[in-house]
Amino acid sequence: MAVHPTFDRRRFLGLLGAASALPVVAACGSSIGGSTGAPATGGGGGTVKVGLVVPQSGVYAALGTDMQRGWELWLADNGQRFGDYTVETVIADEGETPQTGVPAVQKVLQNGGVDVVVGLVNSATALGVRDLLTESKKLLVVTNAGAEAVTSTSRTPYIWRTSFTNGQVAAAMGTHLAQSGFSEGVYAIAPDYAAGTEVITAFTKAFESGGGRVVGSAKTPFGTTSDYQPFLTGIQSSGARAAFCFYSGAEAINFVKQYAQFGLASTIPLYGSGFLTEGNVLPQQGDAALGVQTTLHYTDQLDNPANKAFVQAYTAKYGEAPSCFSVQTWDAANVLDRALASATGLDGDSLATALGTVGAINDSPRGAWTFENQTPRQNIYLRRVDNSGGALVNAVVQDLGPQSQPAA
Amino acid sequence: MTAVDAPAVPGGTAAVSPRVPRGRDGLVAAAVLVVLAAAPLFLAPFATTTLARILVFALFAVSLDLLVGVTGLPSLGHAAYFGSGAYAAGWVSINVTAEAPVPLLVGAAVGAVAAALTGWITVRTGGVFFLMLTLAIGETVQQVANTWESVTGGANGLTGVPAVRAGGAPLANAGFVYWYVLAVFVLGFVLVWLVARSPFGAALRGIRDNEPRMRAIGYPTALYKYGVFVIAGGVAGVAGSLLVAQQRLVTPADLGFLTASLALLAVIIGGAGSLWGACLGAALVILIRDALGPGLGGHGTLLLGIVFVLVVYLLPRGAAGLRLRRRSPS
Amino acid sequence: MLVSVLNGFAIGFLLFILAVGLSIVFGMMDVLNLAHGALFLGGAYLGATFAGSWGGFLAALGLAAVGGLAAGALLSLMTEPLRRRSHLDQALLTLGVAFVVAELLIIAFGDDPLSVSAPPALDGSVSVLGATYPAYRLVLIGVGAVLALAVYLVVERTRVGALVRATVADREMVATLGIDNRLVKAAVFAVGSLLAATAGVLGGPIYGARPGLDATVLILALVVVVIGGLGSVRGALVGALVIGQVDTLGRVLLPELASFVLFAALALVLVLRPRGLFGSPASVSTR
Repeated sequence: MAVHPTFDRRRFLGLLGAASALPVVAACGSSIGGSTGAPATGGGGGTVKVGLVVPQSGVYAALGTDMQRGWELWLADNGQRFGDYTVETVIADEGETPQTGVPAVQKVLQNGGVDVVVGLVNSATALGVRDLLTESKKLLVVTNAGAEAVTSTSRTPYIWRTSFTNGQVAAAMGTHLAQSGFSEGVYAIAPDYAAGTEVITAFTKAFESGGGRVVGSAKTPFGTTSDYQPFLTGIQSSGARAAFCFYSGAEAINFVKQYAQFGLASTIPLYGSGFLTEGNVLPQQGDAALGVQTTLHYTDQLDNPANKAFVQAYTAKYGEAPSCFSVQTWDAANVLDRALASATGLDGDSLATALGTVGAINDSPRGAWTFENQTPRQNIYLRRVDNSGGALVNAVVQDLGPQSQPAA
Repeated sequence: MTAVDAPAVPGGTAAVSPRVPRGRDGLVAAAVLVVLAAAPLFLAPFATTTLARILVFALFAVSLDLLVGVTGLPSLGHAAYFGSGAYAAGWVSINVTAEAPVPLLVGAAVGAVAAALTGWITVRTGGVFFLMLTLAIGETVQQVANTWESVTGGANGLTGVPAVRAGGAPLANAGFVYWYVLAVFVLGFVLVWLVARSPFGAALRGIRDNEPRMRAIGYPTALYKYGVFVIAGGVAGVAGSLLVAQQRLVTPADLGFLTASLALLAVIIGGAGSLWGACLGAALVILIRDALGPGLGGHGTLLLGIVFVLVVYLLPRGAAGLRLRRRSPS
Repeated sequence: MLVSVLNGFAIGFLLFILAVGLSIVFGMMDVLNLAHGALFLGGAYLGATFAGSWGGFLAALGLAAVGGLAAGALLSLMTEPLRRRSHLDQALLTLGVAFVVAELLIIAFGDDPLSVSAPPALDGSVSVLGATYPAYRLVLIGVGAVLALAVYLVVERTRVGALVRATVADREMVATLGIDNRLVKAAVFAVGSLLAATAGVLGGPIYGARPGLDATVLILALVVVVIGGLGSVRGALVGALVIGQVDTLGRVLLPELASFVLFAALALVLVLRPRGLFGSPASVSTR
């Protein structure tokens, strides 16, 4: 059988040629130098180049939109400048998993030549880029990923966080419920994955040290559970006085709706981490969410001058209310601005040192907070879903006071 | 250097491997190798990293091709062994040693053992049943990775994997890591190529084309299928160890349905049975996902789906089948 | 506990409506339609867009039915040029189609998860066996049972059904009788897709609509047909009801293993009966 031997090879080589024409691979240089950093296109000349890595696709895309808006709003209100530096933002898509998130960070660092990376929703991605940042000595400001390890066991001077930790939010609820007449029994339920485990652990610890008793707990298959009936039955038969849960996105919608449909809402009040009713899941939950109480470090209903101005400007510009994700990223710009006022350079070491001296952030929409071990020590609020003029909102019930990242 | 074999003519017997002149073959192989080896010298770090990611995925796709193309066992769960190898290599690097070739051998061993433990169920079936069983196994292994937090780090993944060490020194920059990946890729590729060319490989193609006949003439076909399943698992484990060396992180996504189906796409796009084709397909999949996708508002999958549909229609034997079609329409 | 059994039936009938098309199309033509989950998701999005009133819900059902028919016919047409190629090629084509459709749905409806309301009056809950139960799910059990019975009777008791069964058993023989089995295939493909899209609307109030749901339900449907045995309506029904119970009762009884019960059940059945509970050697040969 006669065959033409070169066809696939030619294609192969052609493909390699095509590859080198792609923008991503176009930059020339060498990968064998001592430094893994890209040539300093940013840096000097009064420009600071920031890589904003947030999800533009996948299940977290809505969070990414809020984050990008928070970032752009701060810059628009402050003349696109951090102190004396003009800010140049390079946006990259984090996607859903570290499979896309890690290359995105690599890309802005190595190809975009950025000085600072901001963003990251997924905790696995935040943990996965640790060595990359440490080795290239660049600063990362995490504006969502809540895994404890980011600022505890895996802490590095180059990674700071302006959001929250999973345990911080949950522990506040644990302490609160123990003091609110539910100490005889609470049922805890969360998805069967790392963040769920962190939340349940921190909640249980705080609740029990306040004298409470967890009468049962369940972990639901992560990402694939749509019908919670089997688990709701477990809550009902446990004799719990209240239920505490941790869900977000589609799982939060289904859980809250089914909790009401199966009649639990009227007998066993539902509490949760604030993501249960935050952002755009709330309108989808509808009236089923009424009365659900959650803890979080922010709600757009906060009554302070900074928040009122922020909500007004945000709503005017984007036509919808901000979420905690917007504020977290707004604050990232806010602290970078302060750090650059005193930083001696744009390298990770200088910026980290400068961030260590910014002190209290007293103009944040979430209320004043400070860095403690590179993550916020901040007030946590107890919120309840109310109907306010036809729209569902997370109304403030109580300020639970400043909270640290829980000790491991 | 050429397709390992020609795909079977429908209803026919195993086609004879198309032979091409050895010399030219070797020459092109050497040229490609030289270009690949020199790449870090003239490419920027991110481009080098991307190329390394392609090589990792290509070796994974090649191991899958041993099942899909050579033996006719379409797997949608092959990422389970890729991921198992990656987790094992990562765990060993963190807790024991990152000195090459330890993570590599551990990855290979765990990939092969995982395949040996699950293979006895899967190889009793064939065709679409095999597809679905492997899918179920992949999903189950992913659940294990998600929940066994003390070992795998759960959904946060296994992080803090140290750089691979060679001769006592860590491979510190993108270029050295790339060369390590390239060297292992070449070894793995040659291994699979040898398996596919061996009498064992010929028997596997016989099974693919007509299993009852092979059984009738005395081949223990189930044993052969089991053997190749374990080998493919081991090579996937090697690819997994490269994944860890390259991205220093393993997460449950690496052994999920999406990873497995992308590998299958790569094999089909390249042309099932052609090991070179699988590499081409892998390059295309990774380039679309990592380089073009972000520019398309995250809709790289859409482009991938369209390319895939077109390939199924227009290139029945994938990219590698192009040359065959010109001469011998069937 | 009894509520969980009841709920298992609701989920089970829904799964049957989803999976029966997948099973028959495979049984007849050996085409494994991996785009089946995307059809379900399309229906769910229609529900999310229109449901809220009875008119809207019925409109969503109608649109899903018409859209499903058209999509099924189109899929049948698309696999036609591949009829001389391996069944794997046809399955892989539908995998590519599934990728494309899922992305198009994201472009059309966004990334955000959406909820689907049950029609008015069914939105509330009723008391069953001393427990509160969503009214919609009760109705779903009834509708699902009726649909299941209808499909079963059509396939097992009518002339059209006999033709379908005959094509499953021996399509060359049917072809020699002068019946164009491409038409039979297109019709079965269309009706199976109609059922999948309809299941999406019906399942909307339980599952919602979100990116990624297509893969979740596709895997569920595959598990159902593998357990039941490919190509068998009775198998799909039993498989769906078994998985419905496994997914609810199983999780109540074994909460610690909730993440694993589904695939444990699948593995168990396949170790004991590699061809599924009702798989016949005729419809599933080694390929």
